[in-house]
Amino acid sequence: MNKPLQLIRTLPDIKKEQPALAIRKVSKIFPSDDGYLNVVDNVSFDIAAGELVCLLGPSGCGKTTLLKLIAGFIKPSAGDIQIQDRRVSRPGPDRCVVFQEDALFPWLTVSENIAFGAKGLIPKDRLAAEVDRHLEMVGLGAFRDYLPKEISGGMKQRVALARVLILKPQLLLMDEPFGALDAQTREDMQNLLLSLWEEFSHTIVFVTHDLVEAITMADRILLMGSNPGKIRSEIPVNLSRPRKKESNAFHSFFRNLRSRL
Amino acid sequence: MKKLRPYRQILPWIIPGILLTVWFAACRFGWVPDYLLPDPFRIVKTGYIYLFAQADSGPYAGRFLADASASLLRVGFGFSLAVVTGIPLGVLSGRVATCRRLMSATVNGLRAVPGICWLPLALVWFGIGMRTTVFLVALAAFFPIYINTAAGTRQVNPLLYQAGAMLGVGRIRGIFAILLPAAMPQIISGLRLGLGLSWAYLVLGELTGVPNGLGAVIMDARMLGRIDIIIVGIILIAILGRLSDLLLNTTLCLFFKSARRSA
Ligand SMILES: Nc1ncnc2c1ncn2[C@@H]1O[C@H](COP(=O)(O)OP(=O)(O)OP(=O)(O)O)[C@@H](O)[C@H]1O
Ligand SMILES: [Mg+2]
Repeated sequence: MNKPLQLIRTLPDIKKEQPALAIRKVSKIFPSDDGYLNVVDNVSFDIAAGELVCLLGPSGCGKTTLLKLIAGFIKPSAGDIQIQDRRVSRPGPDRCVVFQEDALFPWLTVSENIAFGAKGLIPKDRLAAEVDRHLEMVGLGAFRDYLPKEISGGMKQRVALARVLILKPQLLLMDEPFGALDAQTREDMQNLLLSLWEEFSHTIVFVTHDLVEAITMADRILLMGSNPGKIRSEIPVNLSRPRKKESNAFHSFFRNLRSRL
Repeated sequence: MKKLRPYRQILPWIIPGILLTVWFAACRFGWVPDYLLPDPFRIVKTGYIYLFAQADSGPYAGRFLADASASLLRVGFGFSLAVVTGIPLGVLSGRVATCRRLMSATVNGLRAVPGICWLPLALVWFGIGMRTTVFLVALAAFFPIYINTAAGTRQVNPLLYQAGAMLGVGRIRGIFAILLPAAMPQIISGLRLGLGLSWAYLVLGELTGVPNGLGAVIMDARMLGRIDIIIVGIILIAILGRLSDLLLNTTLCLFFKSARRSA
């Protein structure tokens, strides 16, 4: 009787020290025409619970690959990925991805797409209400019965966001989710995500190649370089929130960051 | 739905109208002898007798129901066999590279054999009757169903699986929740092609001396020189084929969201 009790008592302390996500010397090698391609090369970093980290890097440097490794869609060639203290071996609803491209199910309506993953997790009598709540959260209440092909790109990304938020994941992996949107919609989506994040404090890994987006969103920026894909440097963003893109502090941070690319 | 302008509505009927007129004129003015091509009124009359007259009140009278149900049964049986083998095998070879390699040479080899070549063999194996026809129908319908299912499931966007996996869908549920719906448009076209071929091979199977069925009636009428019955039979097969295609489509749409929404 004594031992298990002790264990429970000490568990919260352990969790505090444990990062939400730990990447340990992870490499990913793809076979290619002339031998092999070292897409992710010996990458290590930690992310604390509730932290919003941006992965910033040029196209083709391995951002998507790194995200897919964390999601568990592909296995690292070397190294170890841990969430809390469990090793990632396959995909699961505790780590949800908002994909770079449209990955909604085209034969399901907006509300059915959002309900898809929640079916097994949320009791039937509460499911409809939860779906409605998430529809409203991303501002798509009027489009619940539309098919993906009938809504705009920005709306699709909002559906993609809602269908993972409904699972209440600890870790949100977002792969240039707003990359294909116009400036105004993109800013709206950033604000939406930030307000949701402030409310629910998920841990977020946010991939982007847009400096302004990274500075607007991130607690910390991980700068990636290509060939082979490495973390070149780690830059904390110590600007107060909400961040104004017009402010002097923002501008000087932007200039500083750009000079380091 | 948008209303079509009147001339657009009559457009599809112009060619059949002209053909019918020419046919009618050809018979009236004696351009072709009656024993080669009876005039349209005779066809309508024969059709009426074949469909609705009291059974046994004359040759072919009232036989339609018996013939049609015999034929439908054979098509239904053969087509169902093709579906229950073609779709699972198609999914397997669409998703598992080993299965694809295992089966592709065999399937392509068999597919290259014209269906009619199987007829003599089927007659030896199964004798004249139901089983030969069902075998031919199933064999013919299998290939388009298998090939389209394999192609459709193979081309499913891998992102959809990854999305499914992250949303907690396991492998088995993934087949029904993601794979089949995503491949549905191609599976449907395979099924429709297969059903069309089923009717073709039904007639082939029934030409071999079975006592009933629409194909048998046509063959029988040829021996007796009843061109009108042959034409009636052809028209009825066309109508039944079209109706069964509609039925297939409606059924799929009724049961599968993905079929309803792929249009
Ligand atoms: N499955 C794969 N097999 C072989 N090579 C791959 C595979 N996936 C990615 N690559 C290669 O890895 C490199 C990095 O790809 P990745 O998609 O991770 O880049 P990215 O940083 O996300 O780029 P972008 O900003 O354009 O999305 C590319 O050169 C790509 O060709
Ligand atoms: Mg990418």
